[in-house]
Order: sequence, then C-alpha cells, then structure tokens
Amino acid sequence: MSKEELKTSKPRNYSKLIRWIAGPVILLIIWQAAAYYYNQPWIFPSVTKVLSQLAHPLRQHYASGSLLSNTLISLLRVVIGFCLAAVVGVTIGIVMGSVSFIRDIIEPVLELLRPLCPIAWLPFAIVVFKLRTLPQLFGIDYSHTIFDQVQLGMIFVIFVGGFFPVLTNTLDGVAGVRRNYLLLAKTLGASPRQIFFHVYLPAAMPMILTGLRQGLGLCWFVIIAAEMMTGGDSGIGYLLMYASDNSAMDIVIAAMLIIGAVGALLAFFMRRVMNTFISWKPKEI
Amino acid sequence: MTPKPNNRKTSEKTTAIEIRGLGKVFHTDLGTKVRALQNIDLTVHSGEFLTILGATGCGKSTFLNLIAGLDAPDEGSIRLSDGLQFGENIGYVFQHYTLFPWRTVVKNVGFAQQMRGVSKRARKRKTSELLSRVGLAGFENAYPHELSGGMRQRAAIAQALAMKPKLLLMDEPFGAVDDATRGDLQNMITELWQENDMTIVFVTHNIDEAILLGSRILVLSERPGRIAGEFEIDLSRPRDRMNSEFTDIFMEIRRSLSGQLD
Repeated sequence: MSKEELKTSKPRNYSKLIRWIAGPVILLIIWQAAAYYYNQPWIFPSVTKVLSQLAHPLRQHYASGSLLSNTLISLLRVVIGFCLAAVVGVTIGIVMGSVSFIRDIIEPVLELLRPLCPIAWLPFAIVVFKLRTLPQLFGIDYSHTIFDQVQLGMIFVIFVGGFFPVLTNTLDGVAGVRRNYLLLAKTLGASPRQIFFHVYLPAAMPMILTGLRQGLGLCWFVIIAAEMMTGGDSGIGYLLMYASDNSAMDIVIAAMLIIGAVGALLAFFMRRVMNTFISWKPKEI
Repeated sequence: MTPKPNNRKTSEKTTAIEIRGLGKVFHTDLGTKVRALQNIDLTVHSGEFLTILGATGCGKSTFLNLIAGLDAPDEGSIRLSDGLQFGENIGYVFQHYTLFPWRTVVKNVGFAQQMRGVSKRARKRKTSELLSRVGLAGFENAYPHELSGGMRQRAAIAQALAMKPKLLLMDEPFGAVDDATRGDLQNMITELWQENDMTIVFVTHNIDEAILLGSRILVLSERPGRIAGEFEIDLSRPRDRMNSEFTDIFMEIRRSLSGQLD
C-alpha cells in the first residue's frame, strides 16, 4: 500500500515540475515565433538574441559598462540605502511605538510625507547632494572602486523608499505588543532598557521583518526608476534606458529579465531570513 | 512519606502585606465609573497560602495587580513589608500570556536571572533544576506554542520561582486547563509552597480549588469587590476532597456565597 503510494507520488512531483516549467516555455516559444514572424529585431528581438546578451554579462555596452557591472552598481546602491532605512526606520518605529508622546509629535509629519512617491524626492536630492558620491563624503575624491558610482542623492531616494514600509510595520508591531508581556517582564525585574531589547524588539520582530521585506522590494523598484531619470550615469536602470534610446531592445529585455530575477531573489532571501528568525511565530499563546 | 508541615503557623505571625481601605475605580469608555474594589482591609501573613475566591469580574485580578504594583490604588494603601519588593521577590503567574512566545522554555525560565545579569552557566544550572522540579525536564528547547496548557503553566511557575519569590501572586493560573491536569498542578503548587519559604496569594473562582489549596480563604463580593467572608482552613495536607470536613467547609462557603457565584 505504502509502496504503491511512494511510486505514484514521484510522477506527481514530476508533473508539478513540468507544469511549473510549461508556462515559461510556452511563453518563450510564442515570443520566438512572434519575433521571427515580425522580423524587426530593433523593436522586438528574438529569444535567442536576448539570451545571447544574458550569456555575455561582461560585454561592455556604450560607456556605462556591462550588464553585470551595472546590476552590481544598482544592487550596491540598494543595499546601502536599504540598510540605512532599516536602521533608522526600526529605531524610530520602536521609539514611536513605545513612547506615545513622541509618536504624537512625529506621526502627522510622517503621514504627510508617506504618500509622496520616493521618485518625487529625486530632483530635490540631486540639488541638495549634487553628484557627490559616498567616498567624497569621507573626503576621498576617487576611490577607484565601485563605490564611486554610489551617489548620495540615489542613496537618499532609496532610503526614502525603504524607510516608510519599515517604519510603519515596526510601529504597528511595537504598538501591538501585548500589555501582558510588558507586565510579565516588569514583574520579573526587567528595566526599561531590558524591556526594550527583550520584549519590544523580539515581540515586534515578525512585523519588523515584514517591513524590511516590503522595504527591500520597494527599494529595488525605486532604484530602477531613479536610474532611468535624467542625471543617472550608471546602474541597470540607466543601461536599460540608454539601450532603449539606441534601439538595442535585446539589451533592454535582457536588463528587464535581470531586474525581475534580482527582485525575486531579494524577496526569496528575505523570506528565508524571516523563517529562520521567527520560528516561534506560528502561534501566540 | 514524611509528614509535612501543614499550615506553617508560627506562634507570632509576621505581616507580609497590610492593606487598609483599598479602593479602585475604573472609568469606562462611555464615561461611567465602575467601582472595582471598595474598602478592603486585609493583612496577609508571611508564609501563608491565601486563596481569594470570587466570581469572574469581581475585581480579583485588579486586586492582585494593585499588590504587585502594576496598578495604583485610588483609595487606601498597600504596605509591603518583610523585605518584599516588586521586580525583586514578588512572582506573578498570570492566567494567559504567561510565557514569552519567542523564547524557548529554558530561556523563559531563565528570564529573571538573565535580567539580573546572572552568568549563563549559573542560569542553566538553576533553570534545569527548576524544570525538573516542575516536571518539564526534556522540554528545555521547546517553544511555548509547542506545549500543552498545563505544561505552559508549569513553565510559568518555574519562571516565577526562578526569581526566588517571597510572595507569589497567582491569577487563576489553572483556569484554562483540564480537570486531571489541574489536579496535578494543584498538588505541585502545594508542594512547592511547603518546600519554599514563600507567601502565596492565589485567586480563583473555584470553591473546591480555594479549599484544597488555601490555609485561609477570602471571599470577594461582586461589584464593588468587598470582602464578604473569611475562612481559616485547618485541614491537613495533602487534602482529600472526599473528606467530610472538606465537604462541610465546601457547603458552608457555598451557602455563604449563595447568589454571589455563578
């Protein structure tokens, strides 16, 4: 009986795998056929042309570098901006969530700024930060590393993009901490500082991580858009826009696929982090 | 079995808590005032097992919170003596949310000591000792949600005992567990009380439980909570529910409560 079940379960897994692959494969076949029929590669390139671009990620395009180098630049900008947003957002969120006086002061300002699209901050950021880069902040004009591509204006816009989801989720998480856990900790002799680190922080952790996941996703959205705006000179979003201006649609679509894949990877990574950090979450008691 | 002290009565009773004219008023969202407690005079003696009996919503939890210092009284005073200090040696076992769900059992039990900066090794020794005492050896690394209700309360009791309480406040701690488990927990808490030098104030709505555990029973009336009766229980431990003295006391309390409970 069980042996038979084992036998039947294997093909079932295969059929699921086949179904998973079927969608993309069908899409690629339609795409390839359409491109062949249309025969205008500067508008609608074939699958093979795009794949050949993806197969050569180090090929230099124009003056801006390769698919790989531009992807890394975008990623670096996001990582720096996001880390900043995470630290500031979580800190302010916890303080606001636990001290109602501070929350009352900050919340109206936040509610005004929150609906503002992060990209709308870009012109402002460019004026304020000019084209200053991260090394210049530390007094180094040229570090001759990838960090020369990290403009403060970009970081600021990414920061804004990641900050709000992180903050609002942290705030909800902290404000939702059951009063009983606070009482319990007090009873057991925890000081306010200890309550902060041992009750507020862990109790709000699921919400904080949700905020971080949303924030990181939004940062990746924002950087692509920001790089496509005037003033950009590198990054995968910039390369995409530049290639489009030069009718290199194979590069455009290759860049799009990379952006999608990196976004999915970031989401996957954050989900893994969540699952390892909050194994207790299944049930509050 | 060696005979155990019954009610640990010493000739002169030292006072642990002195409560005079205690009152508490709550303001509801609708703007009405609800008087939760009124004019309570009570002296809790060191080392006694006091059970407070009252219907749900009669202000029993409020009373415990006031003693614990988690809430401030509107009238009257509470004086803790005998070196009692909140956050130091006053343990509190709640009915719900008794453990931090993000901590394993061993880390929950070690919480108070961790807050006091006790070294990890000393903590581990103490917690494993406590866990085996409450019958949770082998569950050190389980999370609260992986435990049954009874096991959670065992862990919660161990968590409170880890701070070496001189006073243990218990707010209907066995209200949410099944009968068999409740019996085990009642035996355990009686033994723990006998083994350790501590005062217990135990709140319940269950007459049977109040008689089984308490060396003294205080009956609270409903809204506003007032002391409606007091019973000294002199039965030897472990107590037998089928004993005629036990049932006599049960009937007596039942009569005095008529109309107050249920």
